[in-house]
Amino acid sequence: MKLPTAKLGYTAAGVTVFAALLVPFILWGSFTKAFAGLGLHVDEVYSGGPKVRTIQLAGYAIDVHRPVTPHMLQSEKPFVQLDWRPAKALPPHISDVVDVDGDGQPDLRVEFDVLEDAKAPLRVNVDALNSHYESMRDVGKQKFSSLIVRVDDAILVRVPLASK
Amino acid sequence: MVGVFRLGEALLLGLASGPACIASCGPVIVPSLLAEKTGFRISTRYLGVFLSTRLTGYLLFALIAWQLGTMASLPETPRSIVFGAVHLSLAVVLLWYAHAVGRQCSHGCAGSELVTIGMPGKRGVPGAAMLGFLTGISLCPPFVAAGVRAAELSSAAAAVLFFAVFFLGTSIWFVPFVGFSCIRRNEAVITVARMAMVLIALYYGYLGLSMLSGRKLYG
Amino acid sequence: MASKALVHRPSQPAFRSAGKSALLTLPVLLWSLLMFARPFADPQASVKIAVGIATVFMVTLFFMMMRTWSTYRWRRYFFVALGLLFPVGFIHNVMVMRGTMGIPIEEMIAGRTPFCFIPIPLLILPAALTKTLVFPGSILPHGGMSGGGMAAMAGLWLAATIVLGKGWCSYACFFGGIEEGMAAVPTRAKVKKIDPRWRYGPWAVLLVMVLLSLALFEPAYCMWLCPFKAVSEYVAARDKVGMIQNGIFVVLFAGLVIALPLLTKKRTQCAFFCPFGAFQSIFNKLSVFEMRIDKARCTPCVLCRNACPTMSLTPESIGRGETLMSCMKCGACVDECPKDAVVWHIKGTDINMNPERARLMFLYAAWALAIPFAGSIIVDGLATILHVFV
Repeated sequence: MKLPTAKLGYTAAGVTVFAALLVPFILWGSFTKAFAGLGLHVDEVYSGGPKVRTIQLAGYAIDVHRPVTPHMLQSEKPFVQLDWRPAKALPPHISDVVDVDGDGQPDLRVEFDVLEDAKAPLRVNVDALNSHYESMRDVGKQKFSSLIVRVDDAILVRVPLASK
Repeated sequence: MVGVFRLGEALLLGLASGPACIASCGPVIVPSLLAEKTGFRISTRYLGVFLSTRLTGYLLFALIAWQLGTMASLPETPRSIVFGAVHLSLAVVLLWYAHAVGRQCSHGCAGSELVTIGMPGKRGVPGAAMLGFLTGISLCPPFVAAGVRAAELSSAAAAVLFFAVFFLGTSIWFVPFVGFSCIRRNEAVITVARMAMVLIALYYGYLGLSMLSGRKLYG
Repeated sequence: MASKALVHRPSQPAFRSAGKSALLTLPVLLWSLLMFARPFADPQASVKIAVGIATVFMVTLFFMMMRTWSTYRWRRYFFVALGLLFPVGFIHNVMVMRGTMGIPIEEMIAGRTPFCFIPIPLLILPAALTKTLVFPGSILPHGGMSGGGMAAMAGLWLAATIVLGKGWCSYACFFGGIEEGMAAVPTRAKVKKIDPRWRYGPWAVLLVMVLLSLALFEPAYCMWLCPFKAVSEYVAARDKVGMIQNGIFVVLFAGLVIALPLLTKKRTQCAFFCPFGAFQSIFNKLSVFEMRIDKARCTPCVLCRNACPTMSLTPESIGRGETLMSCMKCGACVDECPKDAVVWHIKGTDINMNPERARLMFLYAAWALAIPFAGSIIVDGLATILHVFV
């Protein structure tokens, strides 16, 4: 029985060496496509959730994302992300009343200054106009669930949902 | 009918919260279960003790929640102190458990089947009991959700029953842990389990101290 | 009658002939020229010179492996170079792109956090249960420091693991070379007695990090324990928790990667802590290459056990004629054995069946991977340094 297993062993070893040569040309790309095709997505606490609608205003728009609910024991609160874009077209001061859920009723008043320096830290005040959201005062970017940041050409504001 | 509806709600809430309960209790259960002896009977006994003391913790919590009203009405500082103390206790018990496993192995033993802490052998308290009780009264989001619902009920008995059914729903998720009985316990597994308990104890100690210092844990 | 039995090294000349060594090295030379052709096309002189140096370096090391019949010393030169040059190139890129080693929250939200291989085992359970990747990166390239994306790193990991098993830790990991270099500095270990139970540390860390990653839905090892944030990047501290996390990694780096290897001459982070190493150990079972011990020739002098940088040999395993599953296939034990009892081996073959052939086949596979991937990191690091002068 030794010879067949030895042949198998050497065959496997040969295949392994051949596989190593294939990695840069075929295997790496194939496995990458396979992983990308698994249908996974990055945690929405990081990504902010998919965009669901856009509110068009004069000269800029507000993208409203689907509310994000944390998983398991994540320490973040549920939140909704709003993107003001394009950042370079925004007026120096924003004070917008936003209908987040599209029911025709205002939900939030969001106020922040748009600074010329794209790297300068931003601060935001949010007044919740109903009980579904939490107000925020002078918030920066401490937590994923309540922040204001500039990412590329948009200013993102995340407003926590009120706990029931 | 209203009662049945409420119990159905409790069961569904428990079933839906199961994954979060597993995630929350997993760091405690997995290493401590791995540190016990091999065997279906031992694993079943461990889970039985763990879940029954967890239930005791749940029911105690249900009574307190009903007495005090909703969780939100309990001021944050006492809440932080209570749950900070619970987490620190979990850390201490885990360290003690890890030490007791080493002592149990080295003594070879005519002791109790489960690892005991405190007095050696049958006079000690099974570590599973203490861990079960402490996880039963520690705060986690599904627990809070159930607590809020229970506190809205009309009587203490209703709150206790609600929590008991909620507990049943979550406990179904713990049944697969019996599968740990298949893992043969040897020096490697026991050592890994003890080291894991120490690491998790450090983490719970950090959580406890954070809560005691007033840092918010959830949200 | 000449047989296919083992060719004993003691009966061989101390060195293989230069001609034969060159012949055996020729495929590696050709492979290097092929793999480095594209980087060489870069218009920058610093890159061209770096490619030249890297090519000569990798080919020379392989030639010396052939010439001297030994593996460990030459592999270590490559691995230490990788470990030292990776931070040079990476930190330079980070500083150019972001101006800081601290990852700002904006980059995490934008999905531009570079993904390394270490969190792979931590992501499995959350992904399996919720189809969610608990890492602030991008699945596909997304600009900035996102590099090739998470799918590309996962794909590379899978491909390399199929070929190398836990040999990843000796030929692909771009962190391990730092502590391997530290371990090589002293001539003798100051701390010789190490409780063998510390070998189980990586499994405990893996277990805890998997459980906590699922519970907290974050890459718990990256957030709390990874010592290599000291030579790559870390989450910029936004609060006290962030400061505690950053303090922990500094202490772990100083202890596990610098101090303990200097004291023990072991790869202490790899042997006693790294959860990815424990995860990779599982794949050693699948790998066709392994180290074996010929019990007929073993005395046992336990020199192999002392030489092993990860304590993957115990008296019991030596008695069974094998290494533990934590073996990284670095070759230290084989080179140390005075009786040629420890040999490279292909599973299924007789232990006496030409171990040099087994070593060659493994090294061809390992170098075939090392040249394009680790080699490109070495080129990047060298080019970064040369750019200052050229």
